[in-house]
Amino acid sequence: MIDFYGEALMRMSAAFATIYLVALGHSLFELSGVLDLSIDGVFFLSTGLAVLFSAQLHTSLTTLGVDPLICTTLASVLTGLVTALIGLFLAFILTVLPISHGAVGLSLMFLGYGLGIYAGYPVRLKYGSIAQFAYPENIVVYSLTLLVSLALGLTTYRMLYSTAIGAMIRACGEDPHAASALGVVVYRTRLIACGLGYFMVGVGGSIFTLLWLRYWDIRSYVLGYGWFAYTIALAAGRHPLILIPFAGVFGALLEFNISIQATYGLPVDLAGMIPFIAAIALMTLYGSTKLKRLFEPPRGLGKIYYKEERTI
Amino acid sequence: MKITILKRKKELKYGAVIASLLSILFGITIYLVIIGLFGVNLVEAINILGKSFISPTIMKDFLIIYVMGCGLLLSFKASLWNIGGEGQFYIAMIPGIVITLLLFNPETSSTTVPAFIVVLLVIITGSVVGAVWAAVAGTLKAFMNIDEVPVTLILNYIAYYLVNHLVSGPLKGKKTYGYLRTDEIPGIYRLNIILPITRTGNQFEEAVYSFLTQVSYYIALLVTAIAISVFTWWLFKYTKLGLYIKIMGSNPEYLYATGVNTKMLTLLIMALSGSIIGLSGSLYLLVEWGRIPYGIQSHTPGYGYLAILASWLSMLDHRLLPVSAYLVAGLRNTGLSIKIAGLGDTEQTLIILGSVLLGYSITRFIADYEVKIR
Repeated sequence: MIDFYGEALMRMSAAFATIYLVALGHSLFELSGVLDLSIDGVFFLSTGLAVLFSAQLHTSLTTLGVDPLICTTLASVLTGLVTALIGLFLAFILTVLPISHGAVGLSLMFLGYGLGIYAGYPVRLKYGSIAQFAYPENIVVYSLTLLVSLALGLTTYRMLYSTAIGAMIRACGEDPHAASALGVVVYRTRLIACGLGYFMVGVGGSIFTLLWLRYWDIRSYVLGYGWFAYTIALAAGRHPLILIPFAGVFGALLEFNISIQATYGLPVDLAGMIPFIAAIALMTLYGSTKLKRLFEPPRGLGKIYYKEERTI
Repeated sequence: MKITILKRKKELKYGAVIASLLSILFGITIYLVIIGLFGVNLVEAINILGKSFISPTIMKDFLIIYVMGCGLLLSFKASLWNIGGEGQFYIAMIPGIVITLLLFNPETSSTTVPAFIVVLLVIITGSVVGAVWAAVAGTLKAFMNIDEVPVTLILNYIAYYLVNHLVSGPLKGKKTYGYLRTDEIPGIYRLNIILPITRTGNQFEEAVYSFLTQVSYYIALLVTAIAISVFTWWLFKYTKLGLYIKIMGSNPEYLYATGVNTKMLTLLIMALSGSIIGLSGSLYLLVEWGRIPYGIQSHTPGYGYLAILASWLSMLDHRLLPVSAYLVAGLRNTGLSIKIAGLGDTEQTLIILGSVLLGYSITRFIADYEVKIR
């Protein structure tokens, strides 16, 4: 029997893993210089895909004796792979073609919302609740998710700051022309960063619906959690380690919103505002200190990388 | 494989038009492939798509997206990315409700203030509130160099929650048949001219009449769109501020070096952008909604984001903005028509917007560049 605190800790782990993975993936993506305005659409798409894959895998594989946990985990990985493909697509076209990162990103955001509904809605309609396809409510599963997301964060940190590929990713983000002159293949480097980044966004989205909420609804796309992760990543300077406390605090604010509301007798909509106000307050706080310089965005972020000749 | 992309030395004859048409066709193909995969009847969908772009119902969306697009264009030209049109649009509706229902409601008080003064007050306060909401991000950007993109984005959600809170609390309606929303604003403050329904039996005559019906119903939006259009043209063509905005977008250091207070300029541009969006929000309340429903994020057509797209697709050229606003409005209209025809649901609007605009954004560059593959 899980007590109140155990359950709170479990839900907190799921909230943290979701926010952290999405913000981490987004950070890796943007550190390569590609502006990521499709984040909210891709996040919602990943929630729909996770539900679809999980339902399909459960109904087809569990009859063959495959463990339901394996089916759900596979669904998360598959979701990550599909979103990774989107990341590769974005990295490719935004590096090879002289086109607006912002316009492509926002277009893809709408497409992500629409496709997310296409993916998730039939499952919702057929089964009602998706809890049967979700991860088991088990402290081991929640702890493992927490550990895996932290491990991914540490690995990303090591990769970014201690390896050649990390240096190349950051160089592409700062000045892709200079990086190219030094021998870095910009589009290949961005393919790696954006593919890996969006893999993590996809897995984060699947955890949101299959572990944290254990619920999927067509209206989830108006929640803005993708934008929320975007802001957290920005506030933490897209740094994998600094993101950890940020994701923890804001995950808690989102998760315990209802408790805060009940404890302080706040109206539901005022309580809903708290995480968003806190995010702006945080940005204002660090904007007024020396931390601002540390957290500055890559200088080449969102700028069109125009180069006459490219070898593909 | 070698891809060579060269900037065109000579402008392509009718390049912008050809590129735009090809891009739209490419985008529509993406859309049709997607919905075809999900089993939607493509012939019916194409039919609806064609009709939606010439349907009179496109009027409202076009006008709102155009006005908001002008507001956003002002800030975008200065490289100030105001992504907060959604929030500025809805928060600007609040004074409209307070003024028409609480302060000057002829049904509950013996107000002697003429209706046009009240309407003017609604529009002015709506603009001011939109300006103030945008100025929050402008202040943080100007004085603390905090990125305006996440701030304006987050302010959208804060605006949603704040409007919801007010609608379910202090502004909650009494005559709403159990629905959670504000009361409807008194008819004397509504800005529509409603023409009587006429059936002549002639299809062409009825189409023209239907168009005129839409024009008269949205006459206030039309007049505003023309006024804002002239204002934008005048601002960029004849004023110092317009010149500053353009230089701010390309070389802000130059402005600073010439003694211009770039901080105050940043604040001013954001506020001006927000005020035009606020104006459109208060007009939308007076012309279309008449009340504010609860759960604004579920009711929003997403004009704030659609106007961003229209603005970007115009390449930040206010002369092209009517075309891009029409394109975006047409796509939204198609999605709604497909939903009405029973070929899909909410996702149709989102997918058609996303796929066509994605196709457009990707291929639009061929107007300015030539591509050689070896």
